[in-house]
Amino acid sequence: MNPTDTPLIRCRDVRKSYRKGETLVTPIESLHLDVPRGEFLALMGPSGSGKSTLLNLMAGIDRPTSGVIEFDGQPIQDLSRGHLAAWRARHVGYIFQLYHLVPVLTAFENVELPLLLDPMPRRERRERVEAALALVGLAHRMHHFPRELSGGEEQRVAIARAIVANPPLLVADEPTGDLDRDAADSVLGLLRALSRDHRRTIVMVTHDPRAAAVADRVLHLEKGRLLEGAR
Amino acid sequence: MTPSVALRLLGLAGKQLSRHRVRTFLTLAGVGAGMFLFAVVESLQQALARATRLGANDLTLVVYRQNRFCPATSRLPIYYLDELRRIDGVREVIPILIAVNNCGASLDIVTFRGVPPDLLPRFAPDIALVSGSYEAWESTDDGALVGEHFAARRGLKAGDAFDAAGVRVRVVGLIRSPNPQDNQVAYVHLPFLQKATRRGLGEVTQFNVRVIDSGRLDAVARAIDDRFRSEPEPTQTHPEKAFFAEGARELVAMIDFTRWIGLGAALAVFGLVANAVLLIVRGRVRENAVLQTLGYPGRAVGFLVVGEGSLLGLGGGALGVGAALAFLGWNRFLFGSEGQTMAVLPETAVLVRGMGLALVLGAMAAAWPAWQAMRRPIVESLRT
Ligand SMILES: Nc1ncnc2c1ncn2[C@@H]1O[C@H](COP(=O)(O)OP(=O)(O)OP(=O)(O)O)[C@@H](O)[C@H]1O
Ligand SMILES: [Mg+2]
Repeated sequence: MNPTDTPLIRCRDVRKSYRKGETLVTPIESLHLDVPRGEFLALMGPSGSGKSTLLNLMAGIDRPTSGVIEFDGQPIQDLSRGHLAAWRARHVGYIFQLYHLVPVLTAFENVELPLLLDPMPRRERRERVEAALALVGLAHRMHHFPRELSGGEEQRVAIARAIVANPPLLVADEPTGDLDRDAADSVLGLLRALSRDHRRTIVMVTHDPRAAAVADRVLHLEKGRLLEGAR
Repeated sequence: MTPSVALRLLGLAGKQLSRHRVRTFLTLAGVGAGMFLFAVVESLQQALARATRLGANDLTLVVYRQNRFCPATSRLPIYYLDELRRIDGVREVIPILIAVNNCGASLDIVTFRGVPPDLLPRFAPDIALVSGSYEAWESTDDGALVGEHFAARRGLKAGDAFDAAGVRVRVVGLIRSPNPQDNQVAYVHLPFLQKATRRGLGEVTQFNVRVIDSGRLDAVARAIDDRFRSEPEPTQTHPEKAFFAEGARELVAMIDFTRWIGLGAALAVFGLVANAVLLIVRGRVRENAVLQTLGYPGRAVGFLVVGEGSLLGLGGGALGVGAALAFLGWNRFLFGSEGQTMAVLPETAVLVRGMGLALVLGAMAAAWPAWQAMRRPIVESLRT
């Protein structure tokens, strides 16, 4: 198969269950999903339907109970903890609903975090951090701490942190869930631009139809299974 | 992890500490207090070891009156000098009259050693003059050559006069010696001290004997005591350091006991850092999960936590040990008992050992919290 035809992400018969005391919760059940390279995919669905669980599996911070998750044709579910961490560092940028910036670090230092593990020279690191912050429109707030930024600005810093290492995949779990309309629009505009201009593959969980409208494709998750939704 | 990455992670740990200022300050203060205690105790132990442990360079025997421990009661006739010189294995002998201002255990002892002035350079060739000269000293009557530690403690320099134990002398020079006792006394002329203390001209407190080699210390000591056993003034001879250990027995026991205080201080430091790091890690569960989501491997997260513990240990250690050494340097304590003295001085060995211990304690105290932080499943931590 031509490598460009391989979907970036391919989930085959994926099942994920958690044990909660005596009962077994299975948020994901016999799930099949292909995400083509460069696609901007929105995942919707009621609360508890397993959206975050699926996102975490694709981001490699959780493992399926059974089934296969391939990234670029390579199965990732059996990688060791250490290899999975290294894989995440190179391939995934994660954007959280509540930004999760490190409060004692400035915007610059937060964005720099993913690069610290890379033995790249300081100068190059600085240039890349500055470029990422410029891309999200916050170059002038570089030395501000998270507490000095608005929610929308914090989320844009978090996006800069997710893209600074140039990962092919961005995952976002309700990135606008905690923002007002204007801030949400600016975050969505940014994601749209990253998808269109920078060819990033994006998987975004959202409850907001306005957010979903920005995506190329919308999928609905219902009791652990996928239903195709209209664009 | 390359060294440069490790260094960057340490920088990150440092930022976590310096930007949680109050918490860090409180922990450092506690660690510093513990390490202060530890360093003081360690300095005491070090001084004691130096004063009592025999080494290959120890060639000096002290001949004392049998069953006497205080210089005021040990009396030996000066004519023993010639007898001692004739004993096999003896290289040099010097008669010494000792006068102290305080015979009990004390923190501020002044010891005069009255010796025949011409004998001192011969007996102790390794005494160096920091100022003044032997000639100047020999030509005076009430002149004193003062050990440099003693001089520093009293703020004395050549030309000064001082009084102690009812004796008034003039400082004509300062001396420095590899033998710690020499650095803490004032050498004066024997006849002068005999007069000043109203002791008979034929009488001294002790003889110091230098033997030919350290392997024969005990044999020569036995030969000396055998020689004078049936005299009216029998002797008891010990290597100089054993003599100190014997004469200052209570002091030695007390100082030996302080090692438990040192151990307690080290345990307290361990508990303090462990508690601080545990709280830090508890409060940072989600933050550590975020780092792992960004691609930080578990060991990087563990390294950050251990780094923070180590920096707390090292910082508190620097504060505490530094303060302790400054304190000892400033006060120059001289422990004495029964005329024997022991100076407690700031030492590099204590600095190195204290800092090393603080670092190890900090790292060890952080080990368990670090393990917890790196093993927690990411998804679970993110949901907290
Ligand atoms: N680590 C876990 N341990 C136990 N149960 C879990 C765990 N993670 C998820 N679950 C359960 O799995 C189900 C799906 O959770 P998930 O967070 O994926 O839902 P979601 O679609 O993201 O919901 P929401 O829209 O509220 O964020 C829920 O019932 C949840 O309680
Ligand atoms: Mg969710």
